[in-house]
Amino acid sequence: MMLVRALWADLLKIRGKGIWFLIFLGPLGLIAMQSLNYGFRYDYMMRRYATDPWGGLAENVMMFVPIAIYLGMTLVCSLIAGVEHQTSAWKQLLALPISRKAVYGAKLLLAAALLAVSCLLLSAATAVLGLLLGFGTAPPFGMLLRMSFAPYAGALPVLALALWLSVTMRNQSLPVTIGVAAALISPFAPQLGEWFPLSWPLFSFAGALQAAMIAAGIGLGAAIGLLGLAHFHRKDVDEG
Amino acid sequence: MYRGRAAVDSLDLEIAEGDIYGFLGPNGAGKTTTIRMLLGLIKPTSGSIRMFGRDLKKDKLKVLRQIGSLVEYPSYYGHLSATENLEAIRRILDVPKSRIDEVLAIVGLTKEARRPVRGFSLGMKQRLGIAAALLGSPRMLILDEPTNGLDPSGIQEIRELIKDMPRRYGMTVLVSSHLLGEVEQMASTVGIIREGRMVFQDTIGNLRRQAGGGLRLAVSAPQDALELAREAGMEGTMQEGRLLFAGMSDRDAARLVRLLVERGHDVYRVEEERKSLEDIFLSMVEEDAS
Repeated sequence: MMLVRALWADLLKIRGKGIWFLIFLGPLGLIAMQSLNYGFRYDYMMRRYATDPWGGLAENVMMFVPIAIYLGMTLVCSLIAGVEHQTSAWKQLLALPISRKAVYGAKLLLAAALLAVSCLLLSAATAVLGLLLGFGTAPPFGMLLRMSFAPYAGALPVLALALWLSVTMRNQSLPVTIGVAAALISPFAPQLGEWFPLSWPLFSFAGALQAAMIAAGIGLGAAIGLLGLAHFHRKDVDEG
Repeated sequence: MYRGRAAVDSLDLEIAEGDIYGFLGPNGAGKTTTIRMLLGLIKPTSGSIRMFGRDLKKDKLKVLRQIGSLVEYPSYYGHLSATENLEAIRRILDVPKSRIDEVLAIVGLTKEARRPVRGFSLGMKQRLGIAAALLGSPRMLILDEPTNGLDPSGIQEIRELIKDMPRRYGMTVLVSSHLLGEVEQMASTVGIIREGRMVFQDTIGNLRRQAGGGLRLAVSAPQDALELAREAGMEGTMQEGRLLFAGMSDRDAARLVRLLVERGHDVYRVEEERKSLEDIFLSMVEEDAS
């Protein structure tokens, strides 16, 4: 109940901060890139993926999902925490009769939910693009949802870490630098193997260990989330 | 502990219901630390905090439910309007929506309610902070240096606002300041802390009484007279050839003068030694301060 109230308050606070713009920009940007990709070499692409046009499109979109999702998570978490940092609102918020767990939990949930909206938009926009390209068959919605939500699950550890760092540090340069670094490394991460968490978004959708990678992402994400929660619960608020 | 020493040590603030309590001390004495502890923002290194007869650690939310607070410089969401700022807090407190207009009216921000708070003056932001503190109709308001950085008219506005709280809304107020003059006109009780310890806690009337009542005497042989007074149980000091006695009752003053005359001293002058409240305050907070 307290969690819901905190979440409801947070929804109001993020208004006009450009967060919703980011949530739309991410998926629509990826789809704009693919419409150029397919637009410029339509015949080639259609011939190349003639047996499975939807699978081909998903594969092309998916290549950029990890990097986009890491960037999105970093910026969204930083903006959500920044609302409280900017004008030293933490002390006011935490002196209210609400538990710290609810405050932190609401922010984590909000960040996760906003990114989930992006994922949903990405699946929907991919379906629309496929139809516009004249694939001729009904969109395989299950596969399109997996294309965005499997990498999302694999990326959850970074979401939990980004929120923790952004909430803990008043200066956002370190959390943002770490998040951007994770995004930039992610295309090369799969070469290091499945043990490397930054490879999980890709291996959650492609490869032999998809279910395990999804589970690992959710598990590690939850663990980092709980650690952040425990730390926030005990933290002294003596600045800001 | 704060930088190696205890910032605050066994404080007992006795605040009567419906009272305005001035919490005084120089900067760094531990006022803000105390207030942050009362609000559960920081934890004491050892020991516990009790308010309204409840343990803060065990019943934190129940205690906080009864408190409205404003800690140092204002907290607000600059991109939101005054109404939206209060709405964000209201959603957590779960009080009726009508309360927002009520508190805006109390602090006189009704006309500015729709403007983004970013453009507010410091005084307006501080008033918005008070509105936020009032939102949950708390039993007690805790205001940490609410007039810091305000211009004289802003200070006056906030002061009037605070004075109204017990009278009109039955709230108890704890207001901190590093200047006695700041709270003198609104507080009925003051607690003065220095280096984390309470050095004075009483009504402002009793503090005033301490200010007066000193006696200054000019006599023919001050050193002998001082000795004589000491034998009679009155400790005095000598300053520029004059005898000084702090906090003398009328009876003691009469006794001393009679004694001096009987022992053959010439008494040239008997003067009331009156210190300003600010002097008393300063002597309390500066005493063997490093």
